[in-house]
Amino acid sequence: MVKRTARLIAAAVAAAAGIALAGCGGGDDAGTQASGPVDVTFWGWAAGYDKSVALWNESHPDIHVKYEALPSGGQTGYDKMLTAAKAGTAPCLAQVGYETFSTFLAASVLQDVSQYVKAQRAEFPDWVWNNVGVGGAAYGVPVDTAPMAMFYRADLFKNANIAIPKTWEEFATAAAAVKAANPQARIMNLPTDPYLYSGFAWQHGASWFGVKGDSWTVSIDSAANAEVGQYWQGLFTQGLVTSYPAFDAALYSAWNKGEVWSEVGPVWSASLIRDNAGDSAGKWAVAPMPRWGTTDAVGNSGGSSTAVMKGCKYPKQATEFALWMSTNDQSVSNLIASAAILPASKSGLANAALDKPESYYGGQPIYQLFRDESAKVNANWQWGPVMSATAASLGDGLGKVPTKGGTYQDALSGTQKATLSALQAQGFSVSK
Amino acid sequence: MSHVTIRRRGRARELRRAAPFVLPFLVLFVVVYLIPAGYSVVQSFFAVKRSGLGLGGAETVFAGLDNYTRVFHDGEFLGSLGRVAFIGLIQVPVMLGIALILALLIDSSVSAGRKFFRVAYFLPYGLPGVIAALVWSFLYAPTLSPVTRLFASMGIHVSFVTDGALPFSIANILTWAWTGYNTILIYSALQAIPEETMEAAALDGCSGWKAALLIKVPLIRPALLLTLVFSIIGTAQLYNEPVTMKAVAPNLPSTYTPIMAALRSLSSNDFNYAAAQSVVLGAVICVLSVLVFRASARSVES
Repeated sequence: MVKRTARLIAAAVAAAAGIALAGCGGGDDAGTQASGPVDVTFWGWAAGYDKSVALWNESHPDIHVKYEALPSGGQTGYDKMLTAAKAGTAPCLAQVGYETFSTFLAASVLQDVSQYVKAQRAEFPDWVWNNVGVGGAAYGVPVDTAPMAMFYRADLFKNANIAIPKTWEEFATAAAAVKAANPQARIMNLPTDPYLYSGFAWQHGASWFGVKGDSWTVSIDSAANAEVGQYWQGLFTQGLVTSYPAFDAALYSAWNKGEVWSEVGPVWSASLIRDNAGDSAGKWAVAPMPRWGTTDAVGNSGGSSTAVMKGCKYPKQATEFALWMSTNDQSVSNLIASAAILPASKSGLANAALDKPESYYGGQPIYQLFRDESAKVNANWQWGPVMSATAASLGDGLGKVPTKGGTYQDALSGTQKATLSALQAQGFSVSK
Repeated sequence: MSHVTIRRRGRARELRRAAPFVLPFLVLFVVVYLIPAGYSVVQSFFAVKRSGLGLGGAETVFAGLDNYTRVFHDGEFLGSLGRVAFIGLIQVPVMLGIALILALLIDSSVSAGRKFFRVAYFLPYGLPGVIAALVWSFLYAPTLSPVTRLFASMGIHVSFVTDGALPFSIANILTWAWTGYNTILIYSALQAIPEETMEAAALDGCSGWKAALLIKVPLIRPALLLTLVFSIIGTAQLYNEPVTMKAVAPNLPSTYTPIMAALRSLSSNDFNYAAAQSVVLGAVICVLSVLVFRASARSVES
């Protein structure tokens, strides 16, 4: 009788295991026939992607793209993609920011589509292709770049008679002048978001990662990085900047009320400021990013690609759509209007929408400035394959600065250590 | 037929009758709980090996106890364990104490508006955890909080999000949300105490608070034990509140609690290490629960 019970339980476990394993079946096998519409899934989060997909589906009935909106990459979007890839249920296409591209490559979840992009290689500059692959291979199609510039309250600067700074030295002087003109106001908010901060390091050529032969190098605590960190630490210690968290409601309110006069940020800050500080419409303008001395280089903070995931049954069609989304006039106009992106493609940069005067920015055609600046993005930058560990560690360290629990230098040193140990723990070869 | 055979046949019949009631739960338990847990444990014994730049792919190899060695050398993970232990120490006794007093109050014969208070105390638990944490985080946010502003107007500078204040702020949210739940659990146990016991106590001259503390509380010991174990498990698995607070407190590290640390490993593609961290956390919770049960069993016997 005990045997009977044991058999019953064994049967239950077997049934349960059967149910569980059936769930591991993975995607459907339908649609391998050449005729009939092809289904391509696309996971992304940026505003306007769904509209571009709709535009494509209207004019391309033979390749049907199914778009699924996710939370933004850094807020669990990438986790979902990587977990799905591990489970065998990854989509065909995924929106992957350049900073996370190496992580996806290292996780072996991307497909080489060099042969499908060869015809349109000249559409994108070389440094952009470097962001979607290694050694000349391409695993996806670039969509946009995010050169930085200075968004500022033209009216406040004019009334206080403060010149728009052209170098970081002038910026520090202007910061003191702003505080003197209005003790409640500050020139800018301290950059403590790791990816926003990376743009400043990028501008100064202070790359965090490098490739030496067959190994990675990590230089987050390099002299150039220390210089950038010390600059911002100095402004904070002298009380010349506010220290709200990035993307915080209090910061938006400060922009609105004229308590923070400028924001040095990437092109997509244009929609961020426009959508969150509506009361000050028409009073903002855009100037080039302050330079380090005489070096005419700007930083880049952001930019996404449309990556082709491994296991995609229709890489040719998927790549065709990705190229279309990044180069087609209508699609690019839509993306510029929805998400304030700067197209990475050459035809995208020639799009008329970039010459449109922006009423929020006092009628200035701001994207022309970003287009010109995009040519000056410092080409000496490399993302590493453990960015989520690096960004998390840097975010923790920079988060301590406003509460005086640490300095920029502490954050950089701590992140250097954490990155090295993450690389070594995951078996990457690291050299000095 | 021997005595033993009859008994065995009876037992089999019992089990057969019980099967349709137990099987659904058993199947779900195995599929949703045991199999994933087993998968995690298996994954924790492997690691990923790459060569050179690692962009050409990786292979998963058996790594023995390497991941566990790494866990015990991981300062951030050990720190997170210490942190939840501290939050547990400051929060669980306070919460259970309040829950016990409230339950006794609702149960006492002289209380008015019993039904109203039962619902009122339970209401915070009905609010989804993330929403509660979100609203509390706005009350804590240095720039948005009306409480901070009120204190500032009186000249007192108060911050709920400094490194030292964070554990207490989080403990406050937990107490607010879970006291009602524990109150109802304890109150239900109090209902099981027979009327005669309390009448006998009254006859002997023991009533009011003395009766409550000396007679009711020892009788509901199993329920108190249950709430204690639930609270320990819940605190060790803390996740909602710190993650929501991070938006208003950037100084809150991304490895504040063990689950946050494991999820960070997951985001870094370090699946095997995340599995090891989860197994260690699960083991710590198991050991604690067993210790609590053992300690209380011993005191019953003594």
